[in-house]
This record gives sequence, structure tokens and C-alpha cells, in this order.
Amino acid sequence: MAAGQSTRRRAIILLILSSIILITLDLQNSSSVSSLRSVFGAVFRPVESTSRVVTRPISNAWHGIFDYNEVLDENDRLREKVAQQEGATIAAAASVRLAQELLALNGLPTLAGINAVTTQVIGDSPTNFAQTVEINQGSESGIRVGMPVLNAAGLVGKITKVYGDRAVVMLITDPDFALSIKVINTPRLATTTTTIARSNSATPSPVVPLEPNQTLDSFVSTTTTTTTTTIARFTPSVTTLPATPSGVSSITVPLASDLAVRETGVIEGRGPARQPTVRFIDNSLRFGDIQVGVPIVTAGGSRSLSPPDILIGSVSRVVERLGSAGPVLEIELVADLTNLSFLRVLLYQPITEKVTP
Amino acid sequence: MIRLLTIISSRWTRLVLVLLIIQSLQTTLFSDLRPFGVAAQIVLLFVVVAGSLYGLAIGALTGLIAGMMIDMILPTPVGLSSLTLGLAGATAGLLIYFFNQPTWWMRLIAVAVASVLGEIYFPMAQSVVGLDGWLQLRVIKVALIVAICNVIISPLAIVVCRWTLSERKTAV
Repeated sequence: MAAGQSTRRRAIILLILSSIILITLDLQNSSSVSSLRSVFGAVFRPVESTSRVVTRPISNAWHGIFDYNEVLDENDRLREKVAQQEGATIAAAASVRLAQELLALNGLPTLAGINAVTTQVIGDSPTNFAQTVEINQGSESGIRVGMPVLNAAGLVGKITKVYGDRAVVMLITDPDFALSIKVINTPRLATTTTTIARSNSATPSPVVPLEPNQTLDSFVSTTTTTTTTTIARFTPSVTTLPATPSGVSSITVPLASDLAVRETGVIEGRGPARQPTVRFIDNSLRFGDIQVGVPIVTAGGSRSLSPPDILIGSVSRVVERLGSAGPVLEIELVADLTNLSFLRVLLYQPITEKVTP
Repeated sequence: MIRLLTIISSRWTRLVLVLLIIQSLQTTLFSDLRPFGVAAQIVLLFVVVAGSLYGLAIGALTGLIAGMMIDMILPTPVGLSSLTLGLAGATAGLLIYFFNQPTWWMRLIAVAVASVLGEIYFPMAQSVVGLDGWLQLRVIKVALIVAICNVIISPLAIVVCRWTLSERKTAV
């Protein structure tokens, strides 16, 4: 009995010590721990797959009982939303295409030029203290650690662990998540336009600023039609007036001060119950007061794990801070992280991460 | 040969195999069914039940083994769950130690309290190794829901745990 207790005590001490050693090794990114994980994964995956198949009816029954009304309500809400957004989507798609063409024309990187892998979410995090999901594509599809993951709405997270045929995605709401972003602020809501009066003759016309209370009619005598495309939370595009029969055309362009101002910061997750925040925003005069609802996109850059201009969300609250410290922004994500099904992994690696052969 | 058979038929081998199944249920069924947005923790339940049935040492050992196994599939550092689950198992064993002849409801109380503490140990350990941000008020809600779920499922867990960890004489 005493010998048994002594052996047990030794086993406990051994296991505690091995736990501490393993923590240390794993925090040092040891390859032995990674291979140990791979071996265990190879043993565990078949058991897990069997369990998934066996327990699926129970899971379906649970969701059928407890989530039915919610699904019905959500369905109604979504139908209404789809109807509202059908028109806006066509306009937005046209704008996006135009923007991509312009970026490509100027040799700037666009999302359209980055290969992507479509994957399906196959599991949530088994603990309550990790905001991760598991997807059914891994290194065999070219996925690497750090690659950005999107759904149809916008950025969802980044890859943190990769196995042969699966990978783990850390969601934006995880407290360990951090990414450099851009806040696209519109300092003023009122728009002042400049009218360029142009005749058919070769002589250039002067640029005349238009006062806010002035109308275009005072400059152009003929009847013109103005079409403005407005997408919620985005800066309206430049409005072009068609050529007039008299041979004089007018183009209205926004003043430089009216264009959206971009400022970079870092988005950080704060757990599932709280919205992510953006910090390290400069408190500059030019940037002005940040409006609630302005969009947040990825910043990109040679050291960022994400390409530029992936939509993340919009500002839901601005928390001003004293002194020169910039404000802290709370972000409402565009992607619904509670209901993820199909995701897109952008096979993007920054130049600094690329391994040259 | 006899030694090998003894090892294979030992309760620790049985424990690893049972834990493999429990862990697979944790990663599939119980991570999907989330009452009030919280995933029930059946691995933790098994560990605290082991502690409440067989005492501090067995509880700690079961927790350390179960934690080591779950560490292999979590993105958190390996060794973190084994430490916290080992501590949870030991806590359950320690709670039962204070009762002279524990009845079923005393065990249930021990399971509930150890579940609450076990669920709080993990974010605390995360903070220790630098994974900040999880020690929030939400932890209390999570721990209470996990404890309630564990108390509900504990009769089944007691049966499974007794079958797994009971010492049997080998026929060899």
C-alpha cells in the first residue's frame, strides 16, 4: 500500500514536471512538440470522425428543439435584408470592379490577384477559452500559418495551426488576435464640389470652387442629369456630368479635404462577449473626429500577415482618451462569427515571410 | 508477455482509451451543443468525478493524463490543460477528503465546486503564460454553467469512471 502510494506520488511529480517542460518547449516553438501533436492527431482524428458521425443525430435534434424559432426569425430577417441589399450589391460590385481595374492599371496589389482556398468549418473550439474553429483544408492545399481567413462578409481570422488536411483558425475576437488596420474616416459630412467648366476649344478652363449654397445651374446653362451612387458607410464616388449639346461639359470632383482620410491602428480581440477594439490611432487634427459607422479595413504592408483593404467592420463606439493618446474604437464586425460555415483562406504571405528557394 | 498483458489490461490503459472517446465527444457533440453559449466540459467532469471517487492522487493523475491528451489538440501551449485538469482532479479529491463518509449528494457538491474551480484554473494558467484577456467576468458565468451541466451529467460519468478506474484481477 505504502509502495503503491510512493509510486503514485512519483508519477504525479513526473507528470507535473513533464507538463512544465512541455509548456516551456511549446512556448519556444519546439519541433518535437509539433511532431508529438501530429502523431496524436493521426491517432485521434479517426476516433473524432466516428464520434462526429455517431453524434450528428443528437446534435441535429438539439438544434431542432432549441434553435427552431431563432432560425425562423433569422430567416425572416435575412429575407428582408437580401431584398434591401440586392440593388446596393450590384452598384457595389461595379465600384469594386472599377477600383480593382484602377489598382491593376497602377500596378498596385488587389485581392483579385491572390489565390484562395475555399474550406468548410468542421468544428468549434472544445474549450470556452479559445476563439478558434477548425477547417477541412491544410498544408496540402497550400495553407500556411498566418494566412488571412474570410467569409462572404469580410475578415474572420487567421490561420494559427496547420496540419496536412486541416487547420485551426483563430477568430478576430480571440484576445490573442492582433492585426494592423486602416480606419477610413470622413472628416466632414457636407460635400463641397469643384466644377471644371470645359469647352470644346483647346484652351484649358480655369478650376472654379463651388460654394455650398451655389448650384451648378449658375455655371452650366443646359439641363444636366446627375446620378449619384451611394453605398452605406462608404465615401460617395466622383460624380460625372455628361457632355452637353453645346459642347461644354462639367465634371464635379470632391476637394482633397473631402476625401476619406486613412489612419492606421491595431485591432485586438477581447473575447466572445465583447467587441474587438482598435488602438494606436493617432490623435491628429487632419484625421478629425472619427464618425461612428466608418469602415475598418486591413492595412497591408510588407510585414502585415494580411493584404490591404479586406473589410473587417465598422466603428460602433469611440472612446476618447485624455492627453495625446488617440481614441480607442470599438468595432462591429461585418462577419457573423457565431455562424460560420464556408470560409475562404487567402494564400497570401507577406514578402518578409516568403521562403526563397 | 505476462507483463505486457498486465499493462494492457491495467486501468490506466483503459483510462487512456476511454479518455480518447470522451475527448472525441468533447470536440464534436459538446462543442456543438452550447447551452447559453457555453460548451459543457465532459473531460473536466470525468476528471473531477475520478477525484471525488478515488481521492486526490488518482484525481490528479487522471487530470494530468486527460489534460496531456487534450493539449495535443488545443492551440494553447502543451502542458497547460494537464496542469489545470490535474489541479481540478486534486481539488475534487481534496474536497471529498473533508467528508468522513461521503454520501452521493456530498460527491455532487464536490463535483460542482471542483468544476467551477477547474474551469477558472484554465484562464488563470493562460494569464500566467502570457495569454492575457480571458480573465473576465464572463469566466464566472462560464464556470457556473459548466458546473450545472456537470452535475446533470455526473450520474452517467460516475458509472463510466467507476468502470474505467476500478482495479480488476487479471485472469492471466
